[in-house]
Amino acid sequence: MKFRTILCFELAYQVRRPWPWLAFGILLAFNFLTTRDSALADALYEDFFVNSPFAIATTTVIGTLFWLVLAPVIAGEAGARDVATGMYPLTYTAPIRKADYLGGRFLAALLLNSLVLLAVPAGVLLAVYSPDMNAAAVAPFRPAAYLTAYAFIALPNAFVGTALQFALALRSGRPMAAYLGSLLLVFMGWFVSTFVRFVFLERLGMLLDPVGINFVVEDLAHLWTTTERKYRLLALEGNVLLNRLLWLGVGLITLALSYLRFGFAHRQERMWWWRPLRRRPAPAPAEVDSDVLRDEPIVIPLFARTFGLAFHARQALAIAGTSFRTMATSGAGLALLLVVPMLTVAIVVDQMEAMGTPLAPTTTRVLSELTAPLSAELSRWVIVPLLLIFFAGELIWRERDARLGELTDTLPGSDWAPLLGKFAGLGLMLVVFTALQMAAGMVAQLVLGYQDFEPGLYVKVLFGLQLPEYLLFALLALVVHVLVHQKYLGHLVTMLAYAFIAVLATMLDIEHHLLVYGAGPNWSYTPMQGFGASLGPWLWFKLYWTAWALLLAVGARLLWVRSREAGLVARMQMARRRLTHSTSWVAAAAVGLVLAIGGFIFYNTNVLNPYRSATETTARRAEYERRYRRYEHRPQPRLVATTLRVEIYPARLAVEVRGSYRLVNSSTYPIDSIHVATGTTGVDTRALRFDRQATLAVRDDAYGYRLYTLARPLPPGDTLQLDFEMRAAPQGFTNRGIISSVVANGSAFTSAAWFPMVGYQPSRELVGAADRRAYGLAPRPVVPSLDDPESGESAASGGGTAFEAVVGTDADQVAVAPGALRRTWTQGKRRYFHYVTSAPIGGEWAFFSAQYAVYKGQWHDVAIRIFHHPAHTAHLARTLRSVQASLDYNSRQFGAYPYRHLSIIEHPERPGSSLHAEAGMIWHGQGFPFWKPQDEERDLDQPYAVMAHEMGHQFQPCYAFAEGAPLLSESFAWYSALQVVRASRGTDQLRQLLAFMRQPYPFQPIRRGESLLQALDPYLAYRRGPFAFYALSEYIGTDRVNGALRRLIAQHNSAGAPPATTHDLYRELQAATPDSLQYLLHDLFEVNTYWNLKTERVVATPAGAGTWRVTLDVQARKRVYDHAGVETEVPTNDWVEVGVYAAAKEGHDRLSSPIYVRKHHLQSGPQRITVTVPRKPVLAGIDPRMLLIDLELGNNTVDVKP
Amino acid sequence: MGKHPLGLFIRNVSKKYANGVQALHNVSLDIPPGMYGLLGPNGAGKSTLMRTLATLQEPDAGEIHLGDIDVVNQKEAVRQTLGYLPQEFGVYPKASAEELLDYFAVLKGLTNRAERRATTEALLRQTNLWDKRKQKLGGYSGGMKQRFGVAVALLGNPQLLIVDEPTAGLDPAERVRFLNLLSELGENSVVILSTHIVEDVAELCTRMAIINKGQILLEAQPLEAVAALKGYIWRKLTDKSALPALEQEHQIISAKLLSGRTLVHAYSPERPGNGFDAVEPDLEDVYFSTMAGCFGPTGQQQAEGQAR
Repeated sequence: MKFRTILCFELAYQVRRPWPWLAFGILLAFNFLTTRDSALADALYEDFFVNSPFAIATTTVIGTLFWLVLAPVIAGEAGARDVATGMYPLTYTAPIRKADYLGGRFLAALLLNSLVLLAVPAGVLLAVYSPDMNAAAVAPFRPAAYLTAYAFIALPNAFVGTALQFALALRSGRPMAAYLGSLLLVFMGWFVSTFVRFVFLERLGMLLDPVGINFVVEDLAHLWTTTERKYRLLALEGNVLLNRLLWLGVGLITLALSYLRFGFAHRQERMWWWRPLRRRPAPAPAEVDSDVLRDEPIVIPLFARTFGLAFHARQALAIAGTSFRTMATSGAGLALLLVVPMLTVAIVVDQMEAMGTPLAPTTTRVLSELTAPLSAELSRWVIVPLLLIFFAGELIWRERDARLGELTDTLPGSDWAPLLGKFAGLGLMLVVFTALQMAAGMVAQLVLGYQDFEPGLYVKVLFGLQLPEYLLFALLALVVHVLVHQKYLGHLVTMLAYAFIAVLATMLDIEHHLLVYGAGPNWSYTPMQGFGASLGPWLWFKLYWTAWALLLAVGARLLWVRSREAGLVARMQMARRRLTHSTSWVAAAAVGLVLAIGGFIFYNTNVLNPYRSATETTARRAEYERRYRRYEHRPQPRLVATTLRVEIYPARLAVEVRGSYRLVNSSTYPIDSIHVATGTTGVDTRALRFDRQATLAVRDDAYGYRLYTLARPLPPGDTLQLDFEMRAAPQGFTNRGIISSVVANGSAFTSAAWFPMVGYQPSRELVGAADRRAYGLAPRPVVPSLDDPESGESAASGGGTAFEAVVGTDADQVAVAPGALRRTWTQGKRRYFHYVTSAPIGGEWAFFSAQYAVYKGQWHDVAIRIFHHPAHTAHLARTLRSVQASLDYNSRQFGAYPYRHLSIIEHPERPGSSLHAEAGMIWHGQGFPFWKPQDEERDLDQPYAVMAHEMGHQFQPCYAFAEGAPLLSESFAWYSALQVVRASRGTDQLRQLLAFMRQPYPFQPIRRGESLLQALDPYLAYRRGPFAFYALSEYIGTDRVNGALRRLIAQHNSAGAPPATTHDLYRELQAATPDSLQYLLHDLFEVNTYWNLKTERVVATPAGAGTWRVTLDVQARKRVYDHAGVETEVPTNDWVEVGVYAAAKEGHDRLSSPIYVRKHHLQSGPQRITVTVPRKPVLAGIDPRMLLIDLELGNNTVDVKP
Repeated sequence: MGKHPLGLFIRNVSKKYANGVQALHNVSLDIPPGMYGLLGPNGAGKSTLMRTLATLQEPDAGEIHLGDIDVVNQKEAVRQTLGYLPQEFGVYPKASAEELLDYFAVLKGLTNRAERRATTEALLRQTNLWDKRKQKLGGYSGGMKQRFGVAVALLGNPQLLIVDEPTAGLDPAERVRFLNLLSELGENSVVILSTHIVEDVAELCTRMAIINKGQILLEAQPLEAVAALKGYIWRKLTDKSALPALEQEHQIISAKLLSGRTLVHAYSPERPGNGFDAVEPDLEDVYFSTMAGCFGPTGQQQAEGQAR
C-alpha cells in the first residue's frame, strides 16, 4: 500500500514536471532524424530495410546512449529530491520501510525512463511512415522487430542506467550525480569496452559494453549477413544474452548495495567516498557557550571599502578560485584531472603501435591522439564536453543549490563578476586539464623510451588549438544555464546544443561553419609542413565564434537572475535596466565583430570560393551525369604521351602548368569531336589548343565540360596534340580551410582534380544508390559485375601514357614527378627537375615539392631514390633493403620491372604511417620513418613487409575494374610480400607476419558474402586472398603458383592487351594445379570454405631405438558459406599436413624444429593418426602452419603428452 | 561614502504575487537609524518586505529610499551598504567558516588582505566562532550557522542591516548573545529585525511596526504603545470549556495555558467585571490587541477617546 502510494506520488510528481516530456520530445526527434537520414542512406546503399530488426536495434542502441546523457534527472530526482530539498527529515521519519521507499522511488524512475525510451520506437515509426520515406526501403510492419529491440536493448539499458543513476543520486543526495552514473556507462560502452576488445579479449570487450555499441552496432553488423540484417530478429542468445545478463546483474547488485548502505538517518554532508578513507570522528555537536553573557563592546575594525575596478576583478577572481576548488575536489573533477590523464597515458602507450610493430611516440603522433575537434562525436574526448556540461550546471547553480543564493545575490558588485568568475574557474579547470594531458603525453613518451618531447609543439597544439575549442563550449554551457534558469532544463538544453554541434547539424544538413557554434575548419600539423596554411582560416572562424561568445556573455549578464524575480517579464525589465552604456558598448562591439569577421569569412567562403553544401555537391554530380552521360561511349582518342612544364610557387601557394597531350585514335572510327573535362574547383584552365582546326561547340565551365568539333575528323590511327595551360592558387579560404596542395614547404598534388582530361569522366558521377535514386538516375553497381567488366582503363601500369615533365620550384626545394630524373638545373632563384618515364604509366600523376633530402640506391639499372624529410632517417636503409629484395624476387618470379626509376616519397601532408603505390612511385606518411621493430631481426618487421607489399603492386597484373579486382591487386601484392619476406628474411619472420595477419584486427574475418573471385571486402582482399595464394603455393609448389601468375601478367600487361579479371587468374591457377588438388583450389577461391581443424590429444610413447610413436586424436570439419551467409557443412576429404615438432631452439618459435611434416588424408569427424618419429616430440597437430583457413586459432596443435 | 546615519523611507509599497496573494498592500514606513522591529504572524508579508528592502524583489508600486539611494532602482548602491541575514540560508558544507567568510569579505569589497584578516577575525570572535573557524560548515549546528550568517551580514559595516527571523533557530543563550550583538549595531545603522517573537522586539527595538495580511496595522515606539494600553488589558484565569462563552461576551485578545488552566487577556476600556483583574500591559498585549483589531492607528484613537 505504502509502496504503491510512494510509486504513484513519484510518478505523478515527475509527470507534471517538464523534463520527462522534453526528454521524450528530443529523443523522438533525434530517432526520427537518425532513422530518416542515416538509416535511409545505409539501407539503400547496403540494400536492407530501414525498419529491419537490425536497423531498429542499431537505432535503439544510439537512442539509449543519447537517453543516458539526456535524462539522468529522472532517476536523480527520484533518488535525491528529499535530501536536496531538505525534506528528508520528514520522509525519513515516516513509518515506512526502506524497501517501500527505495523500491517505490526506483520503480517510478524506471517506469518513467521506460516510457521516455518509447520515444525510440515511436521516432522510428514516425520516420518509417512519414510521407517522404522511400517505399522501397520499407519492409512490412513487424511488431516483433520493435518489441525485441525495446525489450532486449532499451529496457535492460534503462534498468542498468536507472539503477546506477539512482544509486549515485541517493548516495550523494544530489540529483545531478545521476548524470555521472550515465557518463560512467557511456565511458564503459564507448571506450573501455572498445579498448579491451582490441587490446585484450574480444569477448570480454563485448561483455563490458553496457549500451550496445560493441555487441550490437559493431558485432552484429559484422557477423550478420546481408540477408540476416534484412530479416533476422534480434534474439537473446550468444553474446547478446550474456551481455544482458551481466548488466542486469550489475544493475541488481547496484540496487542491492544501495539498499544495504541506505539508512533513514541524518545525512552528514560529506562526500561518501571519503568515508572509508577518513576515520576522523564526527564533529562534536556545538558546545554550549559558557561565556554567553560576556558583554564586550563590538570591535569590528572599520575599513573603507572601495568598489572600483580592482574590487570587481578581485571579486571575479575569488569566485573563480572557489569555483575551481569545488570542481577540482569533486568526484567529477577528480575524474577529469586524475582518471582521464591516467587513462591518457595508457591509451597513448597502447596506440603507439601499428599492425604489430611499434611506432615511435613522436610528439606529432602523440598529439594526434590527444586532440579532437568538439564536433568529433566519435572521438574518445567527448568525455570532456560531457563533463563540461555537468560542471557548467553545477557552477551556475552552486549558490542556489547550497541555499546561499539570497546571500550572494545581495552582495555588492556587478553582474559580470559571477559569470566571468565562474567562466574563469571552469577555464582554469580546463587549463589544468590541458597541462595534465600534456604531462600524460610526455609520460607516455617516457614510458616508451622516447625523449624528444618538443614542449613548444605541445603548448602550441594543446593550449593554442585544443583549449580554445573547449573554452568556447564551456562558455556556451554556462550561458545556456543562465538563460534557461532551471537546472534540469538547462542541462537538457545544453545537451541538445552539444548534440547539435556534434551530430544534429550534419543530420540537418547545416554544414556552414558560420552556423554551428564553435565550428571551423580543422588545423593540420605535420613535421614537414608545420601548420601549413591551416591556421589562418582556423583562427578567423574561432575569432568569429569568440565574438559570438562575447555577445552570449553580454546576454547572460543582462538576464542573470539575481533576485526572486525569475519571470520572463521581470528578467526583460531587469535586462533593460542593466543595459548600461558600457554594456551596450560591449554588446555593440561584439555585434560589430560578429558582422565584420562573419562578413569577411562569408566573403572568403561564399564569394571568393564557391560554397557548396553536400547536397549541392551531390546535385552537381547528378547534373553532370544528366547532361553528359550520353557522350560516355563516344570513341575518344587515347592519351599516349604527356609532356608537362609544371611551375610550383611555394611562397604564393600557386602552381602553373603548361602541358601537351598526344592523343591517338585507337578506335576503328574517325573521331569528329573531342570531349575535354576540365577542373572545376580552385583551378583556372586558361587555354586549350589543338594542333588542327577545332571549334569550341560546348563550353560549360561550371561542370568542367568542353566539346570541340574538329574541322576534319581524326582518322583511326592518327594522332592529335592538345596543348593546355592552367593555374591553380587558392583564393582566400573556404568553409573547409585553405584548399591548397601547394604550401611553403611540402607541396603535394595529383593531376586528378586539376588537369584537363579527355572524355566523359564516370568518376564524377554519383555513386550512392540512395542518392542516385533520389535524383532519378538509373542504378549503377559500385563495381561492375565480374561477368560484365567494363573495358575501361586499367587501374595501374600497362596501357598508359609516356610521361615527361619539367618541374620548377624554389631553389631550396626538391621537386618530384613520375619518372627517372634526367637532369636538374638552377635558373635564377628557381630550380628545375626534368623527369622522364622509361615505360608508359597510368593516367594520374603525382607531384611533390619540399626541402627533401634524397637517399639514393640502385638495383641493376633501376635508380632508387628515397625523398625524405631531412630529420627523418631511421627508415632509409631498411626501406632500401625491402625495395631491393622485392625487385629481386618479383622480377625473377613475375616479370621484369618496367621502369628504370623507383621513387619513394615522404608525403608532406600525411601524418600517419600508411603507404600508397603508383607506377614507379611509392609514398608514405611521416609516421612511417618512426615505425620500426625493437629488434629488427627477431621481432615482426611490419614496415619491411608493407614496403614489400607496395612493391608487389609494381608488378601486379593489369586488371579490369570489376568484382574481384582486389584479388589481383591487394591479395597479389600481399602474397608477393609474403614470399619476399620469406626469401629475404627467412621463415621465422614469415611465420610472425602470418601470425599477425591471422589476428582479427584490423580486418575481421567474415563468414559471408562473395567468394574470393568476386572479392571486394577488405578481409577478402588483404587476408583471405593472400592466405589462399600462400596455402596453394605450399600445396602445389611456389613455382607453380608464381608461374601461373607470371603467365597472367605477361598476357595482360603488354601494350594493347585486355586487362585481366579473376576469371583469367583462375584459369591459370587451374592449369597449374594437379587434379588431385583441384578441390582445394575450388574451396579457396570459388567458394568461401572455412576449415575447422582441431587436435584433441597427442600421446607419444617410445618405440625403441630412440624413436617415438606419436598418436594424434584429431577432428576435422569443413563448412561453406554462400553469398548470403548460409552455412553448409560439407564432407571433409582433404589433404591436411600433420606435423610433429621437437623442442624449439633457443630464441626461435615452437615450429622451428620440425621432425615430421607430411600431408595426410583426413575425413570428417574425429579420427586417430599414428606416426613414428626419430626424436622426442614436444608438440604435434594437424595443419600446424594453419595453411587452411580456420577461424579457431590455437587448437591445431597441442603439447605432446608422454 | 557618507557615514552619517541614514533613514529608510518606504512609501505606498504594494506587491502582488502571480498566484494572487497580495503580499504587501500600500505599505508606508519611516525607519530611522536604530533597531526597528517588524512584528507580524507568519505569512503577514514580513519576508516579502524584507526581501524587497534587500534588493531581491521589486514592488509593483511604491518607492523605497535609503537616504538618497533609490532602493528599487539603485540596487548596486544599496548592496554596497547592505547586510542581509535571510530567514533561511545554507552554506557550502565543505568550506570552513574562516574560508567562506574570507570569500564573502572579498565579494563584499574588502580587497586588502590584511584588513580582511583583521575584519574576519574580529567577526569570528564576536560571533564566538573563532574556535570553530577551521571546522567545515557542514558540521555546524543551526545556531552556529546562524551566527556565521550574522558574521557575513556584518561584513563591511553595513548602514542597512536586514535580519529576517534571526532568532528562530537559536537556543536561549545564543539568542541573548545575538540580540546583544544587534543592539550595539543599531547605534549607527538602520537595523530592521523581522520577527514573530514579541520579546525580541520588546528587548531591543526603539521603534516597531506590526504587519498583517500585507498591511501595517501599527507603527509605534514599543514603550509608548505599551503605555497607551495601560488600563485597557484585563486578565482572567479560567477553564478551557468556559472560553467560548467568554469570547462571546468580551474582546478576548489572547488565551494561553498557565499551569493547566487557561489565562485569557481581554481588551476593554473599562473593567469587564466577571472575575477579570487589571493587568499591567506588555508588548505582547500590544501585539495581540493590534492583531485583534482593537488597537492601532484607529483603535488607539478610539481608546483614547473613550478614556477621555
